[in-house]
Amino acid sequence: MEQLIGGLEILAQWQNFLIIPLGLAIGIVVGAIPGLTSDLGIILCIPLTYGMDPTMAILMLLAIYCGGTYGGSITAILINTPGTSANAATLFDGYPMTCRGQAFKALQMALFASTIGGLISAFSLLFLAPQIARITLLFGPAEYFALSVFGLSVIAGVSNKSIFKGLMGACIGLFIATVGIDNISGTARFTFGQNKLMAGIDLIIALIGLFAISEILMKSKYNPKTDHKVVRADSITKDKITKEEYRRCRKPIGIGSLIGVIIGATPGTGGGLAAFIAYNQVKQSSKHPETFGQGEIEGVAVSEAANNGACGSTMIPMLTLGVPGDGATAILMGAFMLHGMVPGPSLFTEHGNIVYAIMLGLIVVNVFMYILGSGFTRFYAHITRIPYEMLAPIVLTFCIAGAYSTNNRIYDIYVILLFGIVAYFLRRMDFQLVPILLGIVLGPLAEKNFRRAMVISEGSMDIFFTRPISCAFLLIAIGSVLVFAWKNYRARKKTERI
Amino acid sequence: MKIKYNSEMIAGIVFAVVGAVLWFLIPSQIRTLEKSLITAQTLPRIAIGGLFLFSVGLFMEGIFSKGKKEIVICRETFHSESFRKELRSIVYILFLIAYCLLVETLGFVISTLLLVIAILLFYGARKWYYFVIPLAMVGVVYYVFGVLLHVSLP
Repeated sequence: MEQLIGGLEILAQWQNFLIIPLGLAIGIVVGAIPGLTSDLGIILCIPLTYGMDPTMAILMLLAIYCGGTYGGSITAILINTPGTSANAATLFDGYPMTCRGQAFKALQMALFASTIGGLISAFSLLFLAPQIARITLLFGPAEYFALSVFGLSVIAGVSNKSIFKGLMGACIGLFIATVGIDNISGTARFTFGQNKLMAGIDLIIALIGLFAISEILMKSKYNPKTDHKVVRADSITKDKITKEEYRRCRKPIGIGSLIGVIIGATPGTGGGLAAFIAYNQVKQSSKHPETFGQGEIEGVAVSEAANNGACGSTMIPMLTLGVPGDGATAILMGAFMLHGMVPGPSLFTEHGNIVYAIMLGLIVVNVFMYILGSGFTRFYAHITRIPYEMLAPIVLTFCIAGAYSTNNRIYDIYVILLFGIVAYFLRRMDFQLVPILLGIVLGPLAEKNFRRAMVISEGSMDIFFTRPISCAFLLIAIGSVLVFAWKNYRARKKTERI
Repeated sequence: MKIKYNSEMIAGIVFAVVGAVLWFLIPSQIRTLEKSLITAQTLPRIAIGGLFLFSVGLFMEGIFSKGKKEIVICRETFHSESFRKELRSIVYILFLIAYCLLVETLGFVISTLLLVIAILLFYGARKWYYFVIPLAMVGVVYYVFGVLLHVSLP
């Protein structure tokens, strides 16, 4: 209770109420532009938060995350292109509604459902996370190590068709994490005689290179004449949602939010999966399933409630266990670390007030999202007019300045470009970048606790299997890798047969 | 010349070689005096060893997979649309490498302005405001980082 009140006091500072709308506006614009994602928005804004107070910084990044997830629905509805992968299910009914001249109604429902989903998710984070954190206080080095392994097993869920590619990505990430001075023995590792590598590779440098630069390179084949879809401003009419439609959408929003919270809290999933599962569930239980896919407002409501419903709950495993649920939370976890807070069992005891301020702030973020969204719906058509050829050099300029500002050295600009080029080729070979990021984030945690546990057990590996929580996490990790490997194998065979 | 391949085979070979090279570099790159079972070399060995083994697994997966692309390398290959698209990404990468070479001597503002112009021309931008806005953003970024964030860009 003390921490809750302390959190409220921190949140009540006026600066937070300025930074949240700013973050939301950035998130909505970034999410609404196909090719730019909320992940990219968070990465580009991390360097701008260096001088900020941690609460303010994280709230801004969270606002970008939530705004981006909602913003992605705008292009899904208006031009049949989801702004982010989480909004893919929204286009099933969102775009047909636009074709029928109901774009405004679809956008309003997307905003309403996103806000309700986001609020339910934020409240579940506020009430569930502290309970889980209490249990995690019992953890020792063996449990921490097992947790890191469990976190790394998330790669199974995000490694697309090939589990080998996911595992290789994690190994690459672990290798990158070992570069620099080893904190325990003081030994230099893979520095190749370069003093600049002694401190290792900064997380933000790796993030900018892996995600932002590679994204820019992936878009090098963009053709402004054929790839740029623009919405006519007059396509957004003024037809409002009726009371009957609000009443019909209550159940889909409820189901979507609940599924979003559950799926979001499961590491390795994310909003995109939640939206598809919830959409299918509502369609199957509907009295008129044939209308889904033809411009059914309930379809927009359930998809958006589910993907925003996952936003807050993905933070539950990240804040309490230090296990990021998806790419965006892995980046947010990096931002927490950059601001001196290490997500995981000790976070609630060491920075309790700030964590409560952030969790309460997520509720404020969703309220502001509704206010901002309502006011700006008519301007959304103009966001899609921004040409990518103009955005690409601006994003690149921010990347370069952001990389330089990390350590005030040109060397980091070289590193982001090197990472970006390597990540570009990896993406061309169908690799996912999240396993690499998980390796970088969780590698040091795994190594430190593995070595501590081995000292405690005097070199015996039994410690990991005789302690019940540690053993359970390791078994879940192995189980999830095997299950996903089997699923991937079957999906691959099915594709080959087709 | 006909070549049958898939991304699994290429990635498998490349990373198996990278893994093998890094494995042999471990003793020279991590000179530890620790005598215990777990040393500073342990995690790098797990990561690099894993990279090598999974690369071999990926290569095998690629070999036994039926989904392979077939390319015929001849004169027409170099005039095809797909080759031109590949060339575009190579040109983009070359811009970035050239930027790296220029930034130390010319500084952030001039080299970034050149990079911005190069990218706009690369995408075939013709309208004047397509140039003005990104070029002005270089100045804005320089100001924001220099004055507001106290980071003096090179």
